[in-house]
Amino acid sequence: MSKIYERSLSIRHLVCGSCNGCEHEMNALAGPAYDITQHGWDLVASPRHADVITVSGPMTEAMRDAAAATLAATPHPMVVVAIGDCAIGVGPWSGVGSAGDGAGPELGARVTVRGCPPNPEEIVRGLREAAQLLDDA
Amino acid sequence: MYAEIAIAPELVRERLGELAETAQALGAYANETKVRYLFLRPQGVLCAAVDAGAGALPSMANEMPLYDWHEREMRQKQGIAFDGHADMRPLSIGDGPVPEAMTAQGEGVNVVVVGPVHAGIIEPGRFTFSTGGETTIHLDTQFSYGHRDIERAMAGRDALEIAPLIARICGGCSVARSWTYARALESMAGLACGEATEFARVVLAELERLYNHVFDLANAASGAGYGRGLAAGLGLKERILQLCAAATQHRLMFDAIVPGGVRTGVLRDPQALRADLRAVRRQVERFVKDMFENRSVIRRIAGAGLGDSQTARLFGACGPATRACGVELDARTLCAYGAYAGLDVRIATAKGGDVLARCNVKRSEIAESFRLIDASLAVLAKSSIPEPQRVECGVGRVTVATEGSRGIETVSVEVKEDGTIERLHVISASYRNWPTVARAMEGNIIPDFPLVNKSFNLCYSCMDR
Ligand code: SF4
Repeated sequence: MSKIYERSLSIRHLVCGSCNGCEHEMNALAGPAYDITQHGWDLVASPRHADVITVSGPMTEAMRDAAAATLAATPHPMVVVAIGDCAIGVGPWSGVGSAGDGAGPELGARVTVRGCPPNPEEIVRGLREAAQLLDDA
Repeated sequence: MYAEIAIAPELVRERLGELAETAQALGAYANETKVRYLFLRPQGVLCAAVDAGAGALPSMANEMPLYDWHEREMRQKQGIAFDGHADMRPLSIGDGPVPEAMTAQGEGVNVVVVGPVHAGIIEPGRFTFSTGGETTIHLDTQFSYGHRDIERAMAGRDALEIAPLIARICGGCSVARSWTYARALESMAGLACGEATEFARVVLAELERLYNHVFDLANAASGAGYGRGLAAGLGLKERILQLCAAATQHRLMFDAIVPGGVRTGVLRDPQALRADLRAVRRQVERFVKDMFENRSVIRRIAGAGLGDSQTARLFGACGPATRACGVELDARTLCAYGAYAGLDVRIATAKGGDVLARCNVKRSEIAESFRLIDASLAVLAKSSIPEPQRVECGVGRVTVATEGSRGIETVSVEVKEDGTIERLHVISASYRNWPTVARAMEGNIIPDFPLVNKSFNLCYSCMDR
């Protein structure tokens, strides 16, 4: 068993103008096929319980304050993971209309997961990277 | 066929009332000088255009609350004035302050605000509950946290090139919306798709309904505290998404339907998909049977989140939630399109309008989707799907209605001579149904909100745009 699996993660998901496609794949993590609880990871109901914030979407004007408040409520050390092309700033909605250039760069994401949406396996890989960063912290 | 009529501004109230008696009201949209009220009839969408250049139009929001949000949106986005609309709040938040919620007033009323960020993996929205004792008296909903101003951004862009963006307005309604948009451009170009393409589109749209409905039942199980059902349902949704990926190279089937046909390479092996789906079907039946035989689940969901046909009609609601109030409304039969006409779609309804009734409708629709997919794949096994045809986008305007998994999806599009977008407007089934979720919560306790809300399972992204 790799050392990474020894680190539990408490994950809080933040939606910033996503099309909900990324959320369909985030939801898959809780199902039996990917079941992230086997790694000791959990999706938590409050940022105060989290050490990983996953974000999706290009960022919208209306979410900016709520996103900042969510990050401010998260204890340190923590890692922001950008889920999907929109959140990274290379997605279909990046910079379109009033959308921003990616919730990830805006919120200081240190891990990125490409895809539109990314497959659940890819998201798991990104979370592992976050676990590594937290271990190194 | 799409048709347009003109209504004089002074006759708006009278004529819209008459039209709503004989056709399904779909809402309205505007440009700076005209408001277009949309209706669905067996012949197609009827657009009643009203000149808005000469002064305020009468608000319809009191008699037909379905126009409440539409009028707020038209006032905010196109500057159309409506006389007699009580709620002057803008519909979208934008970069200004978030509009204050409307709450119940009186002694003993408690106000509870939830959101915009929610526990769980859910899109953002603010729900303001006014409660008396434990029960909800009023629920105010504030959306648009995901507003990207898509419609404005699409103006001036090439109508064909934006198809992938249309597919990504909402991930869970992607196929339905792509199909609606493709039909809109094709009808303006006078282009008809062949039989195989039409059956392929039915397969894709029903696969989308299937994974959404299975997911909804899993969530209802979760809301009722039935963890095993949630796990089983999520596992089956995953299996269906894997089959979608095998059939279209994308788990959510983005870009599988394109203007002019279906993307090359989609549904290459109809026989294999047919066999796989038969196996999945048995597992889904088992999951559904277990859930409906679980008495604690049924007792938990029966009577929760009541809707009724009168409210549904006033709000222009549609989809499984409205069929769960005994209303036989489904665009696949009301105004059959594509291959549906020859497939004899059986519309599922239920009585009661509660969470149980909505689950029952979805249960029947899951079975029907399996049947429609199987019948369509049988046709596809004997024919090959042609490459998509070239669509010549010329000047024109049209609104097309399609039955998505949450109800009637419409896309209104106006194209200029050079093939670019003059005006695009999307009204989603979620937009049509959200106000009824708030009504269904009245009389329920706040802890039942996840259960009630998830039994509608409406999207925020295709509401917010
Ligand atoms: S990356 Fe793709 S799936 Fe994710 S929010 Fe953006 S458009 Fe939707």
